[in-house]
Amino acid sequence: MAEEGTLHYDPDKNYDEETLAQQRIIEKQIAGTQDFVTERLDFSVLEQEYAEDPVYIKKVRSLKSKYLCLRKTRGDGNCFYRAFGFAYFEKLLEDQEEFNRFRDVASKSKDVLVSLGFPQFTIEDFHDTFMEVVDKVGSQCPLEELHKIFNDQGYSDYLVVYLRLLVSGHLQKEADFFSNFVEGDRTIKEFCNQEVEPMGKESDHIHIIALTAVTGVSVRVEYMDRGGETTNAHDFPDGSTPKIALLYRPGHYDILYT
Amino acid sequence: MAQSPTSGAVRALQLELKKIQEEPVEGFRVHLSNDDNLFEWEVAIFGPPGTLYEAGYFKAHMKFPSDYPYSPPSVKFLTKMWHPNVYENGDVCISILHPPVDDPHSGELPCERWNPTQNVRTVLLSIISLLNEPNTFSPANVDASVMYRKWRESKGRDKEYENIIRKQVQATKQEAEKDGVVVPTTLEDYCVSTNPKPSDSSMDAADFYDDDYGDDIDDDDDDDNVYEEDDDDSGNEMS
Repeated sequence: MAEEGTLHYDPDKNYDEETLAQQRIIEKQIAGTQDFVTERLDFSVLEQEYAEDPVYIKKVRSLKSKYLCLRKTRGDGNCFYRAFGFAYFEKLLEDQEEFNRFRDVASKSKDVLVSLGFPQFTIEDFHDTFMEVVDKVGSQCPLEELHKIFNDQGYSDYLVVYLRLLVSGHLQKEADFFSNFVEGDRTIKEFCNQEVEPMGKESDHIHIIALTAVTGVSVRVEYMDRGGETTNAHDFPDGSTPKIALLYRPGHYDILYT
Repeated sequence: MAQSPTSGAVRALQLELKKIQEEPVEGFRVHLSNDDNLFEWEVAIFGPPGTLYEAGYFKAHMKFPSDYPYSPPSVKFLTKMWHPNVYENGDVCISILHPPVDDPHSGELPCERWNPTQNVRTVLLSIISLLNEPNTFSPANVDASVMYRKWRESKGRDKEYENIIRKQVQATKQEAEKDGVVVPTTLEDYCVSTNPKPSDSSMDAADFYDDDYGDDIDDDDDDDNVYEEDDDDSGNEMS
């Protein structure tokens, strides 16, 4: 991992641990300043952020014409899962029928993961915690309680892990199809080991496609980048009616509300 | 605001310790180094019957990070081990214990890596499996690796490796006696656990049985992911 010319590789040193230690420090700094999921915020926070940036200001205005407000998520590499989870669970608080469908999907999902070879004992632990939160949503707990759960690291990270496992499970189950979209020589299993299962690994299209497919939850993503005048909406899967909307800025997902 | 990540680790470790103590599994025993500290465990691994390690009693120290299970524990043998994948100081080098950061070895071999569903049991079973099936792809102990290959390629005629292992196994007997432990030497005893759940333990037993030393070059069983997939001798990718 040493960079050419700048570091002398010391075989007695554990570079992985050093990298991890450094990552932990960065994570701590982020953790001190930002909730996992914020309250609903007015778009003025984005206008302030981009006050000096005419291209982005235009895009924020176009967002404002389509959406009411947003919630930001912590930029820790898990933002897609946290944004998806919170936005969808918040939706379920008001939609009993959709809740019933999802509860069934979620409850059956454990067996698929066990059949793929994930260790049963630990899968059960993550699954039980996931279902505990799902059932709180089913009992129509106050929104504040859901918000608190998502900002409690113990719960919040367990939910992220389980959503990551669902993605990994789906990619592995449909490996024949998804292997066409994995870069390099990696197998789907390696890809899941390296890019899906570890906490903090960012999400790409393939993760979104898998999560929307395995949960049956359609998502609209508004892409906000340098090109064009407005944000570009993309629905997963294509042509579906989205249940939730997320804002994408390079490397990060937040939640949008209509 | 958010609780510290440590509380998640404490919860996960308590759950694992309780489960392993209530339903001991084949091949190892665990206890806390110090009752007040869940983050350091003493482990005793029994050498699998039918291998060079039969009747061996190997002690190791497991240390868990504060963000367990998001990061892997580390394992260090306290018993002296001459093994291609164990450093001279006892540190165990196996892909499942690799932190989930990009590492230069990635992509070289298919291998099981750490993820939050791995646990004490899957780690220890991987290590037991590693004892008899070293990975010589990128060894931690090069001399041991060279010697192991000589032994294996000569189909056991070159006894140097075997003799060292047997001597080390022999040396562990005193320790076992001191601890009052009877090390199981038959498959039946080795696998006995109180009421194993079929779905959970069926895979564990299968792996070392058909791998008696001497004919372990081609291991074609395609068991579950707990074990590294074996392709020649390079199944356990090294760090």
